[in-house]
Amino acid sequence: MQKDLTKVRNIGISAHIDSGKTTLTERILYYTDRIHAIHEVRGKDGVGAKMDSMELEKERGITIQSAATYCSWQDHSINIIDTPGHVDFTIEVERALRVLDGAVLILCSVGGVQSQSITVNRQMTRYKVPRVVFINKCDRTGANPARVTKQVRDKLGLNAVMLQLPIGLEGDLEGVVDLVKMKAIYFDGDSGEKVREAEIPANMVEEANAKREEMLDAVSMFSDELMEAVLEGEPTEKMIKEAVRKGTLALDLAPVFMGSAYKNKGVQCLLDAINLYMPSPMDIKNIALDLKNGEQEIVLTSKPEDPLVCLAFKLEDGRYGQLTYIRNYQGYLKKGDTLINSRTGKKVKVGRLVRMHADEMEEIEESAAGDIVALFGIDCASGDTFTSSDVSLSMSSMHVPNPVISLAVIPVDNKAQVNMSKALNRFTKEDPTFRTYVDHETNETIISGMGELHLDVYIERMKREYGAEVKVGAPQVAYRETITQRAEFNYAHKKQTGGSGQFGRVAGYIEPLAEGEYEFVDNIVGGSIPREFISSCDKGFQKSLEKGALAEFPVSGVRCVINDGASHAVDSSDIAFQLAAIGAFKEGYKKANPVLMEPIMKVAVEGPTEFQGSIMGSINQRRGIIIGTLEEGDYTVVEAEVPLSEMFGYSTVLRSLTQGKAEFTMEFSDYKQVPKNVAENLIEELRKKKKEQGK
Amino acid sequence: MLKEDLIKKNPLRLLSPADQGKTGSPQMGLVMARAGLGKTAILVQIALDTMLRGNKVLHVSIGQSLEKTKIWYDDIFRDIAKAENLERAADIQDELMSQRMIMTFNEESFSVAKLRERLKDLIDQHIFKPDCLLVDGFDCSASPEKALQEIRELVQGMDINVWFSAVCHRGDDRVSQAGVPAPCHEADGLFDTIILLKPDAEKNCVFLNIIKHGGKFSEGKTNLTLDPSTLLILDK
Repeated sequence: MQKDLTKVRNIGISAHIDSGKTTLTERILYYTDRIHAIHEVRGKDGVGAKMDSMELEKERGITIQSAATYCSWQDHSINIIDTPGHVDFTIEVERALRVLDGAVLILCSVGGVQSQSITVNRQMTRYKVPRVVFINKCDRTGANPARVTKQVRDKLGLNAVMLQLPIGLEGDLEGVVDLVKMKAIYFDGDSGEKVREAEIPANMVEEANAKREEMLDAVSMFSDELMEAVLEGEPTEKMIKEAVRKGTLALDLAPVFMGSAYKNKGVQCLLDAINLYMPSPMDIKNIALDLKNGEQEIVLTSKPEDPLVCLAFKLEDGRYGQLTYIRNYQGYLKKGDTLINSRTGKKVKVGRLVRMHADEMEEIEESAAGDIVALFGIDCASGDTFTSSDVSLSMSSMHVPNPVISLAVIPVDNKAQVNMSKALNRFTKEDPTFRTYVDHETNETIISGMGELHLDVYIERMKREYGAEVKVGAPQVAYRETITQRAEFNYAHKKQTGGSGQFGRVAGYIEPLAEGEYEFVDNIVGGSIPREFISSCDKGFQKSLEKGALAEFPVSGVRCVINDGASHAVDSSDIAFQLAAIGAFKEGYKKANPVLMEPIMKVAVEGPTEFQGSIMGSINQRRGIIIGTLEEGDYTVVEAEVPLSEMFGYSTVLRSLTQGKAEFTMEFSDYKQVPKNVAENLIEELRKKKKEQGK
Repeated sequence: MLKEDLIKKNPLRLLSPADQGKTGSPQMGLVMARAGLGKTAILVQIALDTMLRGNKVLHVSIGQSLEKTKIWYDDIFRDIAKAENLERAADIQDELMSQRMIMTFNEESFSVAKLRERLKDLIDQHIFKPDCLLVDGFDCSASPEKALQEIRELVQGMDINVWFSAVCHRGDDRVSQAGVPAPCHEADGLFDTIILLKPDAEKNCVFLNIIKHGGKFSEGKTNLTLDPSTLLILDK
């Protein structure tokens, strides 16, 4: 089966929380005959929307995991990835974006461009994803698609051009005017399934003509042919569509569509737009790294006859075992093929190959380049590349941030203990920003991630999916230590207590490292430390980094240089030099003016202007630095940088300050030094805690 | 180069005494040019200079996004740090940014009354007490005298220096006696310092014409120019 790749679309749907992504996806599935009834996100029928297949999502009405689903519209195959809207889950968004060719950016016609849309937009720009904009909820009071379009230009920096106009707004929303065809489009039938074209209502003709002029002005920038046709008189529909497509694919244009998914208006037009203006896999340049050739970049071809390259972008533990979502970039994948995991070098056999439709699936025999499908029973981590045996390629690595918050989880009984380790094993494979380890001193299991909600969701999932009841400790901020100046060390480790002794002397210096966590430099000349013990010194330093002498937090940003030392013919050993290096580090560390570092979050608070003063006050109280404010009529955004440790419980404070009218998002920005007085208190507290534990 | 040298070397020294903002009554300055010549770049350099000397700056940006305004600062600081080979540039930048706050408004929502309210909020709640106020993108097109007078009165009481930018349009030939072009030709008495940017196609640079300085109208001749690629102020 040779599929026409130009008729494949891999599309993401991305937006701010509550702008109606899931509702829109639900409508798309309905109109493309994938589902036969529409269930609302918070529906009364108790079924929940198709894409929200996890129980927790149904309950909270938010989408946590990006489920991939497949549908077809007018002879085009469309793979849709539903992405989460909350910023704590951005790794999911980023991973989804990596495998997408294009995206629909959904904006609420009332709320407009909100902070999460800005984050998502930035991510899309990073991965060079072409966008179309859908302004949803045009039926709501206060809807204003023109204002939102302007915001897309101003705040997102996209060249947004309206290709439609709404017919009526708020409660009177009837349909849209298509500015390309110059027709009115109505959506009849109980679920808006009958699309009817009609003449533009007389009272809108003038406005439509004016807007069409504007649209043609913007679009003709991308096609000389269209430019000429516009000057000479009548441009054809085909010319306009081609120009819009060209501009969109070059990321120089973002066509804007509108409607209301909930009221079943405008969704079919958006599907047409996906076919018309979104790229096919053939339009996108995908790059892999050649592992045999010093990670040189190679452009993948999308041709079925070339060697297979695909990327595992998502794992799920379903009813039927582990499910691995893959995007096929090049070549042909068949049932029974043997693949190589280029990270581990292990061979895997393709058993079952399926196409996913939220939580239902369809068995398929093969998949061509450009497809998004799922494999069964393959052991791998997300982000792994699979290839056929004749090449050794890896898709470029994805940007994975370090976790900033951690908490202890304590299973209530033995059964919970077993289930918890199963669950944690699964989660860490699925989500690279979720980590877990055992604290050797307290024997507690610690989980860490990107925010409070991020960890909350995993704790919920442990309970629900794995039946692991756990008690949860207070959240801890992931502090770090670093040094601020260069310091010398010269330390000899001696031990003589019967039997063979231990001896090693290590000299050199430590200094701050501007980029990176740790660097070891060997400047020994003349063999004062024998070659075989150099790596022992390195090991010793690395061990020292696990716990700093200041407050026992991990140390980062240190370069350790050794330039002298001494050894003993009999008493020197691997362990002796490791201990010498640990001693040496301790000696240098004290002199190197160590400081505490804390994660700083970029916080955006949005709310009515009347509360601007109290919002700024609340940030000021939390050691925050206000970067700026943005005021648009009666709506304000305050952007600030605030230490994570001060943000616990902020949602409650904000709610009571603003009568529940403001909301905030945050994402990790950077590590910065903890102010001296705060650091002193923190260290004191930790000492007390240590003492108590010791008792 | 160290931070201290950077402060001393700044070509803006010609324009304002080193103790600006610390003594004397607050000053009001104006940067005028046709669109796209580098008004914002000059305001940002005035702001950076003010911050380097330990003062706080409130940047009010009308019609431009927060993100764009931040990028102005990042770019110009980076260019200065690179041109002057500044040591510990990243630390200094961090430090400066804590002395700056940006307030953005869209054109419709800005008014002097609103600015007064916001400033009062900031100062009363001890959130941010600016020493210098920059107003970029203020609409001077329709006789701005009244609003400018109001702002002057506002900052007088708070001991804040203030700088404005204004766009002059090709085709509008009105000019004040002292050579201040429209739309500010009737408001030139309100400012202590007025700078007009003049492009010079032959020399491929933009001259800073200082029309008024220290409350006195001057010849308008200066050695200050803008580098056309980085928009940094140079002393030639």
